[in-house]
Amino acid sequence: MFNYSMAESVIEIKNVNKFFGDLKAVDNISLTINKGNLFGLLGPNGSGKTTTVKMLTGQIKPSSGEMNVLGVDVLKDPIKVRELVGIIPELESPPSFLTGEEYLNFVASIRKIENPEKKINEWFNFLEFGNERKVLCKDLSRGTRQKLMFAQAFLHEPAIAFIDEPLINLDPIMQYKVKNFLKDYISKGNTIFLTTHVLEFAESVCTNLAIIHHGRLLYAGNMKDIKKKKISLEKFFLEKVKN
Amino acid sequence: MFWEMIKEEWRIHSTLFGNLIFALFPLLILALSFGLSLLYPLISNAISANNFWLIVHYFFLIFGVIVGGFGLLGKEFMNRRFGQESLIAYSSRSLPVSEWNIFLNFFFKDLLYYFILWILPIFLGLFLASPIISISFNALLLLFSVFLSFMLGLSASFILSSIYSYSSKFLIFILIIISIPLFFAKLNLNFLYLLPSYSLFINFSCTNLLFSILIISWFSFISLFFLRIDYNSGSRMFNNWFNNFNKFLKNSFVSKDLLDLHRSEGGLGKIIFSFIFPLALVWVLLFFFFSILPTGNFFLVFSILLGIICSSMYNWLTEFEVFSSYEFLPVKTSKIIISKFISYSFLNLVAVFILIIACIQSNSLNYFFHGLFALIVSSYYTLATTVFLTGLYPNILIYNPKIMLSYLVISMIVPVLLISVSLINPDLLLLSPLIMLINYFLLKASLAKWDSWNKFQL
Ligand SMILES: Nc1ncnc2c1ncn2[C@@H]1O[C@H](COP(=O)(O)OP(=O)(O)OP(=O)(O)O)[C@@H](O)[C@H]1O
Ligand SMILES: [Mg+2]
Repeated sequence: MFNYSMAESVIEIKNVNKFFGDLKAVDNISLTINKGNLFGLLGPNGSGKTTTVKMLTGQIKPSSGEMNVLGVDVLKDPIKVRELVGIIPELESPPSFLTGEEYLNFVASIRKIENPEKKINEWFNFLEFGNERKVLCKDLSRGTRQKLMFAQAFLHEPAIAFIDEPLINLDPIMQYKVKNFLKDYISKGNTIFLTTHVLEFAESVCTNLAIIHHGRLLYAGNMKDIKKKKISLEKFFLEKVKN
Repeated sequence: MFWEMIKEEWRIHSTLFGNLIFALFPLLILALSFGLSLLYPLISNAISANNFWLIVHYFFLIFGVIVGGFGLLGKEFMNRRFGQESLIAYSSRSLPVSEWNIFLNFFFKDLLYYFILWILPIFLGLFLASPIISISFNALLLLFSVFLSFMLGLSASFILSSIYSYSSKFLIFILIIISIPLFFAKLNLNFLYLLPSYSLFINFSCTNLLFSILIISWFSFISLFFLRIDYNSGSRMFNNWFNNFNKFLKNSFVSKDLLDLHRSEGGLGKIIFSFIFPLALVWVLLFFFFSILPTGNFFLVFSILLGIICSSMYNWLTEFEVFSSYEFLPVKTSKIIISKFISYSFLNLVAVFILIIACIQSNSLNYFFHGLFALIVSSYYTLATTVFLTGLYPNILIYNPKIMLSYLVISMIVPVLLISVSLINPDLLLLSPLIMLINYFLLKASLAKWDSWNKFQL
């Protein structure tokens, strides 16, 4: 556990379990994440990462346990949590029959952002897909849709962003941009919770990380401690998961 | 691939409700059909056996039309259906199989499903009831001829939607040409007996058989030949209409619904078309009914049925999208449901337009407001029942026998009441807006129900 006495915790997970039928997808997880951190949740396929993100953002209900995000009890007020945070889901795509530009306006209208045009334009410029703003989402490439999901999640400059696999389908130029964006974003006092399979990426951006396997938390600590061990994150990960 | 698709469809339903419950569905249909058949002696004075069979065959024809309008509208539908790209219909694009082949497999899979889940149980119910109500018939022939009726409806709907996919104007032109004589002429209802599957049943002959099969295969051939799985939307670029709509409507979901309808390969046209076509058949059948029944007001009963059929447009509205694509946004389910109610109200303007035509055609101007109230009340009542029981997933949850049964029982209450009132004293219908109170409370209860954590999750 990484509790700095000075730091302010923004995500708290206490003894959370999730069953799907008789499958235990998340097994008694407890975690605390502090403000200003870039937290990476790592784990093999099917280890419970997406399930954890969905529970934290009130999209599915945990079987037992408590969760608190930005001081809001997730079980009591999931909508409030989703108002405060931004989410890039693992699978969902933007709706087929809106254009990218319309989709961002749609999200802005749901999130009650006044005069979103300027921000929307900034995102089109930053991720370099402004020339496709008038194309229906169903006709966009996978990567462009992912850019749209990125913009959607950050439009209201949330204090916490949950990102389930940020790099998926993005080209190397975009990966580089996104990496710097995320580092910059937490330096402003925001927090990011991401899951990823790209360990090099995690190694270079995360300040803290946890490893989860078969729903159980195997490790939680900060990046510096792992670097002190003088082994790569890849090796560290493989060792943890093997045992 | 065909069997894989069948298994997949079974799994989708059975993981939602459990194998046993899903298997109960055809039994429920059988029981309902059995029960309804037992009622026949009550009306056998007014409706002769031949007319009874006529109605049975038309029932299957209309059913085919509705299924066709709903099920055969191309790829867009397959994707939308469960929103998962994991469906075989979608993923096998990566296999060395043509889309056309996939579509055909998909089509026959749906056909088999409809046969086992609906057609066979309805037939068996009737068959089991026949000794009790002392009607005798050639069972195999009946099964065959009602299946033909269903196929006739299906292929007719199929061909119209094929035409539609090329030119909506041409389809509207055809429909107008067909409906002009219906509107002006005093109907000579004898033409109803010409339904090939019906005459095959009444008077089996090889010519009749050949004729039916010829029509079906001709329709199917033409539509398969012209089948367009990948529509080209023409332009790739669209201006920001969303903002304009939203500025005016102040509801981002309704604005999105309207855009979906407009842009999804003529979604609005499809809805109206799959709504108007069965409606026209109901109109003709109702006309037929009232020509043999001693009492009743055609226009008022039509208005009430119009309301019920209207509620099927809600199924369309929820078919356009996957709600998991909202789950990560701060939106309550109730907010989406309310928006669907508003979008639905827009679509109901079409029904009002039809009501006006029916009113003029049947010379019932003095009953216009009676009919209008009856339409609105029955339309919103049926909708509220659907929403209460199935939330945003009417097309999936209806296959749960418990929900289906509750739906059939609850949704019938008000329409039966309205129809009875229209027979006793039509003026009482002017009081029917009071029922909107029930609708209001039903809606309120639905919102609370679907907002709670325990709601159904896909
Ligand atoms: N809705 C569901 N119903 C049943 N089982 C589920 C459901 N969602 C997830 N699971 C199961 O829960 C387990 C954890 O799934 P989860 O999606 O959280 O894994 P993940 O760590 O995100 O995997 P990946 O790295 O592949 O994205 C898996 O075994 C999965 O099959
Ligand atoms: Mg995942």
